[in-house]
Amino acid sequence: MNPYYAGILLGLVLLLSYLILGTGLGASSGIARLGAYVELLIAPTRTLASKYFGNWGQQPLKYYLVFMLAGVFFGGLISALLSNRCNIRVERGIKCSPKKRLMFALAGGILVGFASRLANGCTSGQALSGSAVLVTGSLLFLICVFAGGYSTAWFVRRQWDD
Amino acid sequence: MIETFFHNGTLATPAAFLASLLIGIAFGMALENAGFGSSRRLSGIFYFRDMAVLKVMFTAVVVAMLGVCYAKAFGWITIDNVYFLHTLYAAQIVGGLIFGAGFVMSGWCPGTGAVGLASGKVDALVFLLGAAGGSMLYNEVYPILGSITTADRGVVFAYNSLGISEASLAFFLTLIAVGCFWGSEYIEKKGQGTGEQWGTPFLKTFSAVLIAGAFGLFAVADQDMGSTSAFSKGTQETKLLEGTQAGLDHIEPQELADRLLSGDTSIILVDIRTPMEFTQFHIRSAINIPVVDLAVSLASHKNQGLIVLYSNGMTHPAQAHDSLFRLGFRNVYFLTDGLKGFLETCLKPVSLRPEPVSHALASKINAWRAFFLSPSIRADDQATNKNLSTAFDLSLLTIPGLVETDWLNTNLGKPGLKIIDLRAQPEYNSGHIPGSLSLNLESLRGLVRGLPSSLLPAVMLAEHFSLMGVRPNDFVVLVCTDKLQDATLVGMACERLQHSRYGILRGGFPKWQAEKRPLDTILPSVEPSQYPVPDRSDTFTVTSREVLTAIDKRGTIILDVRPADNFTGKKHDEARGGHIPGAINRPFSEDVVKTDTYNAFKPIDELQKIYGNIIPTKETQVIVHCRTGHQASQTYFILVRLLGYTEIKWYDAGWTEWAAKPELPVE
Repeated sequence: MNPYYAGILLGLVLLLSYLILGTGLGASSGIARLGAYVELLIAPTRTLASKYFGNWGQQPLKYYLVFMLAGVFFGGLISALLSNRCNIRVERGIKCSPKKRLMFALAGGILVGFASRLANGCTSGQALSGSAVLVTGSLLFLICVFAGGYSTAWFVRRQWDD
Repeated sequence: MIETFFHNGTLATPAAFLASLLIGIAFGMALENAGFGSSRRLSGIFYFRDMAVLKVMFTAVVVAMLGVCYAKAFGWITIDNVYFLHTLYAAQIVGGLIFGAGFVMSGWCPGTGAVGLASGKVDALVFLLGAAGGSMLYNEVYPILGSITTADRGVVFAYNSLGISEASLAFFLTLIAVGCFWGSEYIEKKGQGTGEQWGTPFLKTFSAVLIAGAFGLFAVADQDMGSTSAFSKGTQETKLLEGTQAGLDHIEPQELADRLLSGDTSIILVDIRTPMEFTQFHIRSAINIPVVDLAVSLASHKNQGLIVLYSNGMTHPAQAHDSLFRLGFRNVYFLTDGLKGFLETCLKPVSLRPEPVSHALASKINAWRAFFLSPSIRADDQATNKNLSTAFDLSLLTIPGLVETDWLNTNLGKPGLKIIDLRAQPEYNSGHIPGSLSLNLESLRGLVRGLPSSLLPAVMLAEHFSLMGVRPNDFVVLVCTDKLQDATLVGMACERLQHSRYGILRGGFPKWQAEKRPLDTILPSVEPSQYPVPDRSDTFTVTSREVLTAIDKRGTIILDVRPADNFTGKKHDEARGGHIPGAINRPFSEDVVKTDTYNAFKPIDELQKIYGNIIPTKETQVIVHCRTGHQASQTYFILVRLLGYTEIKWYDAGWTEWAAKPELPVE
């Protein structure tokens, strides 16, 4: 799809979220709450006593952004199936081993998960939703994401070598 | 105006969950269609190969931004029915930098990762597991992160930070976005030979539409602002200014003093000075919150109760008031003339005042001084200087009224809670509710003006309360066995002292015990207080003279709550049997229902019906009495505290006096 059309569609979904829910979009919260849920299964008292996850109580999954994350997955699945873009593989440069690529994905994931909690949001909640309503911290976050990305890009470029 | 889920406080309901799921599905489809189910494509922007991320993201931001601006200009949404993220500069700058590094390493972000997983990408699955792990890691190190996570600036808008109008910033950002679109196409064209949209009619039209749309904001925004000032943000600001003009935003020191003195629990008094100033002196019951934390700390009191801010003067509280107003708080007030004014108006001794002071005002000043300056209370108050979450919450209780065992159990041990056990001492010694004090009910009664078993005068009751360490702001829970009138009689003592913060444990000790709740045998340590004596006698106790005049007065009901046999005179231990002429008999025991384990008052609606048949209106004058005032205290509590009758009097001396005075008529 023409990226501008996709952007318009995404912008309208975000606008709709503000008009109906009264909040922006979000994805990282859902992931963090899944993490909290797993921790609760393993060590309930310890998790409930922890300073951050403890705030979410015994049922961290009863939260609107968890449902939104589930929606993102299903929306992506519907769209990928309809357009025949669904196939199981590790996406990488041809010269990069799958193992190396997965190590990068894992390490990047840990950084993203940590940073999303620190900044209280990710590309969806802060960069997209917060910037659209002109919140100072969200616009700063957006700028810093690009700054952090461009300054790291050179060091991890080999995973995309063909 | 659209009532958003956030505005209605219903984000945690199934309807909101369903709406979030549907919006999420649309979100996921938009991302997938943008090609964001591919990490190669997402990371492309960082190597200038594929600028799709920039195009999609900036288009979405500009479309939503213009949409939200227009929705606000048309009044569909206001600033207070939308949730805005808070700004924490350090957290968002550091978080953004780390996030960017993680983004380029993994090729994913949380939303696109979920879409990637749906598209079958194994690297997306690994990324998501990593992100969940990163969140857990954050939870582990959260306690040592310190001020980076707490330096919350609240809701900060970039147009305010930059000092320009919202429309100007929106227009400026739209120009940047359009510039980025053309730049991206050019980079792609030069680098990869792609950049299909460079110079196409589509991109020209699209750019023109966005810029025109942003330009249009100046027109609608001007309309909205023209009538007030350049800094106004429409109706909300107008309301704020109207409130200021009408003086709705402040509270007078005398009113605050009176309300605190009467134990008004709806007031949340907030001292916004420095902790050091607060420790030196603060108005009793105040809590100390730094200005920057107000919005977060008071979130649970938003539009519930009455938030009163004070500082030494009025400037900072007024500014904080306006800021909280913009965040949707409509229950914030500040103290007129600040702490200085409060000390001057309420606490300055009568002797030091240059102007003549009326007798009424003088006694008020003395009561205020006793309440606000008593040293033992100040020391205790500091001990109970709680943050809001550890203080117990009375908002769900009707007080004076009934307290459930569940509530008491959760609030055991909290400062400001006094539990008084009215059972016999041997029973208390063998096991009681942790922290409870043992009180022999009879110590509150005695011979007063020749009348035995009278509730003691306020000055003596205050002495008893002081010895028990009860302070005027304490919440007193009364615990009895199956004789509910024991608790209500102590309730009368509270009423006489104007101590409205009391409740009776429903089901008493037997219910507590049957529910296997905690017990102990330790005597709690008590630090005596100085309970102030009310400056006027109570308004509910009546004497035989008042009862005598009521006999002839139509419309006053005399309610005799003794057992029926005593009422008819069939049984009596006193000089004479029978009842006061015209009295109606409603034995107190009929208001009580017995379960297997405990006694309780009958359900409120049942009592409402029964008394509705006896007493015509809630404002009807009623005198309740029994033999010694004990049983009648129960009927008094039911009528006044549970059913809301307003004109109930209590003839404490009761049949003991009436029967023994031959000049009083008997039927």
